[in-house]
Amino acid sequence: MRKVIGTLLAIALVTGVALVANRPGPAGAQGGGTIEATVTYAGAPVVEKLKVNKDTEKCGTEAVIEKVVVGGNKGLANAVVSVPGAKGGAPKTVKTVVDQHGCKFVPHVSAMTPGEMDLKNSDDILHNIHTYSTANPSINKAQPKFKKVMAEKFEKPEFIKLTCDVHSWMLGWVAVMPNPFFGVTDASGNAKIENVPPGKYAVEAWHETLGKQSKEVEVKAGQATKVAIEMKK
Amino acid sequence: MRAPLLAAVALVLATPAVVGAQAGDANAGKAVYQLKCIGCHGEKGDGKGPAAELLMPKPRDFTTGIYKIRTTANKVPSDQDLFRIITDGMPGTSMPSWAVLSDRDRWNLVAYIKAFAADKFKEAPKKLDLPKEVSSSAESIKRGKEMFEAIECNKCHGTEGRADGPSRAELKDEWGHPIPPANLTKRWTFRGGPTRTEIATRLAAGVLGTPMPTFIDSVEKPEDIWHLTNFILSLRPESPGYATLVTVTAMSDAIPDDPNAEFWKKLTPNNIPLMGQVIQDPRNFNPSIDLVSVRAVYNDKEIAFHLTWDDPTQSAEDAGKKLYADGISLQFPPQPSSGPERPYFLMGDSSDAVYLLRWENGKGVTEATGNGPTKIAAIPGAEATGKAVYANGQYRLIMKRPLVSKSEARPTFTPAVFMPVAFQAWDGGAGEGGTKMSLTSWYYLRLEEPQSSHRFVIPPVVAILTLAVMLLVVRIANRRA
Repeated sequence: MRKVIGTLLAIALVTGVALVANRPGPAGAQGGGTIEATVTYAGAPVVEKLKVNKDTEKCGTEAVIEKVVVGGNKGLANAVVSVPGAKGGAPKTVKTVVDQHGCKFVPHVSAMTPGEMDLKNSDDILHNIHTYSTANPSINKAQPKFKKVMAEKFEKPEFIKLTCDVHSWMLGWVAVMPNPFFGVTDASGNAKIENVPPGKYAVEAWHETLGKQSKEVEVKAGQATKVAIEMKK
Repeated sequence: MRAPLLAAVALVLATPAVVGAQAGDANAGKAVYQLKCIGCHGEKGDGKGPAAELLMPKPRDFTTGIYKIRTTANKVPSDQDLFRIITDGMPGTSMPSWAVLSDRDRWNLVAYIKAFAADKFKEAPKKLDLPKEVSSSAESIKRGKEMFEAIECNKCHGTEGRADGPSRAELKDEWGHPIPPANLTKRWTFRGGPTRTEIATRLAAGVLGTPMPTFIDSVEKPEDIWHLTNFILSLRPESPGYATLVTVTAMSDAIPDDPNAEFWKKLTPNNIPLMGQVIQDPRNFNPSIDLVSVRAVYNDKEIAFHLTWDDPTQSAEDAGKKLYADGISLQFPPQPSSGPERPYFLMGDSSDAVYLLRWENGKGVTEATGNGPTKIAAIPGAEATGKAVYANGQYRLIMKRPLVSKSEARPTFTPAVFMPVAFQAWDGGAGEGGTKMSLTSWYYLRLEEPQSSHRFVIPPVVAILTLAVMLLVVRIANRRA
């Protein structure tokens, strides 16, 4: 049973990540460059744990709330790296899918361009999508077990917090970004942004609890530019 | 001549416009606000008035433009929605009805409170279209129950709707304050009103700023909103029908010991409202238990009280965790007095004691003498017994004791005599204990006179005798003639 859940989780994760990672269009079509960002954090990981009193078949008996996930070489996961100033390139929309699986939002952080996203419920129990946002209207919609997918629209750039009142430990973020030049860091703190139009930009990293940091880079056509950003408390 | 005529015409034309006016004057509203609203909602409209600290739920923070009760499909309430709440108040909260203010004043208030979040009201309210109404029927209620289970209303509202769902303790509102789910069996406490349309509207549009989500797109078919509404309406009548006198029914058989026995369900409950104890510190401004249903019977030996009340959390005393036990008590004068004098209702005082028949989770039924809420002494030689059951957010308890008592500390119950009675209750899970309780002032209890078979014998005998006398009179009269 555990294996099955694990596999499902992995599939869900891969799907989520793939949707974000597969974003780039035809490589180098616009003569863009690549940004290879590494986000680090010197502090300790922050993980909260909570005893679960319901739906333990789906949620497990202990909820783990990973607020700050630090991997090898201090790499910080779940940070959104973006190039807010980048303009041009092929106009493109990036959709994201967030699944409610095992009473967690999977992926914990994802990013999209303004438009629609899909919210899945693969838990077969009631969840309610309760968002906290200011630029976009916040929503609080029930998603009972028979409602497998709901589409939601977020038109304005913003970092939107996702919660569920039924399972108060559930926490997720959707970053609505003004342009398609962004990535979410993996477990080692790496994110790759491709096809960035050449130019000088401030690369920005955002983390749900650690805030924002930015660094100047110059992107050259056909080249990869490395940038290291350290998050501070 | 012309001028007064014109003025009269102008007045006639203007009057209806004033009465129906929806566009209030924010400046005029401010004056009313500062007199009537500022104590709770605060000068800045942020819900942080001086009284806010003691209130639960907290007063509305107007600066966010978030309103619980809307009849709109978007987040903006209509002016009529705001006017309605000002006029009718919100049951179960500290918001009273302001119908005492003139229409004009209330519309001006609407304009003023909107001004606290002017940018939020730039968007026009969008009318919510409810699905086609489905009237109540056995099938509709059945479907509503199925949907209640399918969409898991129980997660917050509990299996039987008594606000005891497993997510209860986790629920927080937009401001991070704990917020309890509604007890669906107590429609009269629904913030947005107890009627069909109001309930369907809350289900469809949700309660903004709270964990209650919108369900209009989250039911299997749109009309399920009405099936759910019909199911909720079927849980209990719209009004609790409070009792003014507790009637104790006479019976000749033995009194059942099981609180769940069918016998008790057949008796009409005497519903008694309870209030928070706010006289003696520490006080209870937000009592958890607001209603106890009393069923009482007696036979020639015993008197039994069957009490039913909702408590979302079953809790026993745990000194380590600072938890209190749930409890309830019935209070009587130790000896019935002939005059109107009764002991102080708040568990007696130093000169006049009260007799307490009490039950505590973990300790069972006990008897005590009270000389005030902090001076309670157990009566030696227990004569009372009892049994409690707890299920789905509700206690059912039987307390029994002999009808007659020889001790000075305990009253004797006599048929047809009005006996003062009062109630106190504690929800330990809500931190209630000691003086933090819900209570009533004195009510009266009356034991029905035992109904003997005489009533079936005497009237016919009287009728036959009367007939005989009449016949006799007729016969005598005939003879004389």
